[in-house]
Amino acid sequence: MEFTAPSGAIRRAGPTSTTSNAAVHADQGLAARAGAWTVFLGTLITTLGLSWDVQWHVEVGPDTFFTLSHLALYSGSAISGIASLVMVLLATSAQRAGRPWDRAIGGTPVRVFGGAFTAPLGYLISGVGAASFLLYGLLDLWWHSLYGFDAVLNSPPHVALFLSISITMVGSVIVFAAARNLRWGQAGLVVAVPILMTFTPIVTNAFSALPLPVDPVLLGTVFFSALLLIIGAALLPRPGGAIGIAVVLGALQAFLWWFSPWAAHTYAAFVGLPLRDGLTPQPPQLPGGMPMFLILAAIAVELVFWQTRSRHLDGKTLMPVAGAAAGLIVALTIPLQLALTDPTSSTDPATVAILAGAGLVLGALSGVLAGRFTIMLRALAPAGATS
Amino acid sequence: MNPRPDKTHRPTTRLRQLLVTLAAILTLGIITAGPALAFTPVDIVHAEQVKAGPYTLTVGFSVWPIRAMQSLDFTFAPDGGIAGKSGTLTMDGPGVKPDEHVRPLVRHPRKLEVWGLDVKSLNAPGTYTFTFAIDGPQGHGEGTLTGVQVLDQPGPPLGLSWAVSSLPFVGLVAFLVIAWRRTRPRQHTLTL
Repeated sequence: MEFTAPSGAIRRAGPTSTTSNAAVHADQGLAARAGAWTVFLGTLITTLGLSWDVQWHVEVGPDTFFTLSHLALYSGSAISGIASLVMVLLATSAQRAGRPWDRAIGGTPVRVFGGAFTAPLGYLISGVGAASFLLYGLLDLWWHSLYGFDAVLNSPPHVALFLSISITMVGSVIVFAAARNLRWGQAGLVVAVPILMTFTPIVTNAFSALPLPVDPVLLGTVFFSALLLIIGAALLPRPGGAIGIAVVLGALQAFLWWFSPWAAHTYAAFVGLPLRDGLTPQPPQLPGGMPMFLILAAIAVELVFWQTRSRHLDGKTLMPVAGAAAGLIVALTIPLQLALTDPTSSTDPATVAILAGAGLVLGALSGVLAGRFTIMLRALAPAGATS
Repeated sequence: MNPRPDKTHRPTTRLRQLLVTLAAILTLGIITAGPALAFTPVDIVHAEQVKAGPYTLTVGFSVWPIRAMQSLDFTFAPDGGIAGKSGTLTMDGPGVKPDEHVRPLVRHPRKLEVWGLDVKSLNAPGTYTFTFAIDGPQGHGEGTLTGVQVLDQPGPPLGLSWAVSSLPFVGLVAFLVIAWRRTRPRQHTLTL
């Protein structure tokens, strides 16, 4: 049974909240696609910019607020933020003119600032993330003026910036989830989920100063990979969604593996800087941390989903199993990936055991949450919404 | 009077010309300013001398006094230059991580004629030592710069910075809680 949101479950915004399965006006359909893909474009540019920036610091070094990789980071959030604002203004305009606004365009409209604006939920989230990025960019500038240009991922403003970017990416996923019954919405989910999957573990750098037995970024990779893989697969209407997401993540990883060092080296040559002395032969940092064997976890998720369908079970029943399987596979293949790609790394058996245990627990938790979050995301727009 | 087609399109054309001009200025600005924007010169404001066997080494600091968490440039300049010489730096102190304890002496990325560390911070206050082991034409030599004092961190307490920076996370969790309570996902079945 397809879940649809109970009436009034999320506060609606006056006449624009009218749920209709009828096709909306052609220009709204165009705006829906343009808005969703422009927000996504911003998140993609942000991801490329961050991977480039991290590689620049590793291999070249010198930094200011205005290196090109930083500009890519800023412009990515700006593009997403401006697109979100435009979509909110369009929805507000439609609401004030009494025109219907399809919930497939960004999700449930919500009232903002006492009803001054009507914001589709997805665009509200992506826009708030972009605005937060701007505010914390100012905090970061102040931080650098006080502490210098520390090229670390785990300073408080940097973590806040990564959180803000992640929120924008969550908004992008929400936007595509609202349009999951449309071909472009499904295509968007298959590409937006891997972007979020790539970015969210970076936030766990916040815990890297703590004396933990395992790198918290690895744990973040395990948890968010399993969580987002399952959510993405469950939102897509046909079997094979997990495979598609894993394939796109693999393609993104392969591209970043080539792009990040290339961009760092090319920019270094352009500004006349050499590479650092004494570099060790490590893989590119950001793509090197992406789970290379996610396809195996995706196959496990598809198998669990197949069992769920063939037994006519509630999808939530086996979600913890899907999560535990995905988490365990990602956790156990991380040491394998490091052994294959990073000659400077070594993972001792105790760490592998801890990773395996954490993979099971975090994976099962991610499965439980994924089932709930999928229901919440499906509530954004009715099953038959089309535009 | 009938409107003339060229006048009708003029605003669009002007807008396009304006956008092209702005894009050209921006691109030109980035290209020409690229080298200047990418890095700033190393400005040494304090120096210490270290005798490492037959070698005399000048240790430079771009910030003095040093404060915890405040990144700065360190330069290590042996008399006669770094050509034909190599060595290691061993750092000891309360904020030195195990993987940063010993490192090879490498050129400073923005001052290539000397060795150095770029935008490096020492993350805890206290007393630090820098031990240099140098190999060169005059053989092997070792020397230590002792008693480098790192003062308390500047700015507000770190807990406050983390509290402010965790607000987006708090907001995200609050959003999830509200959405959870309004959709009540536990009460609904999920079809795959």
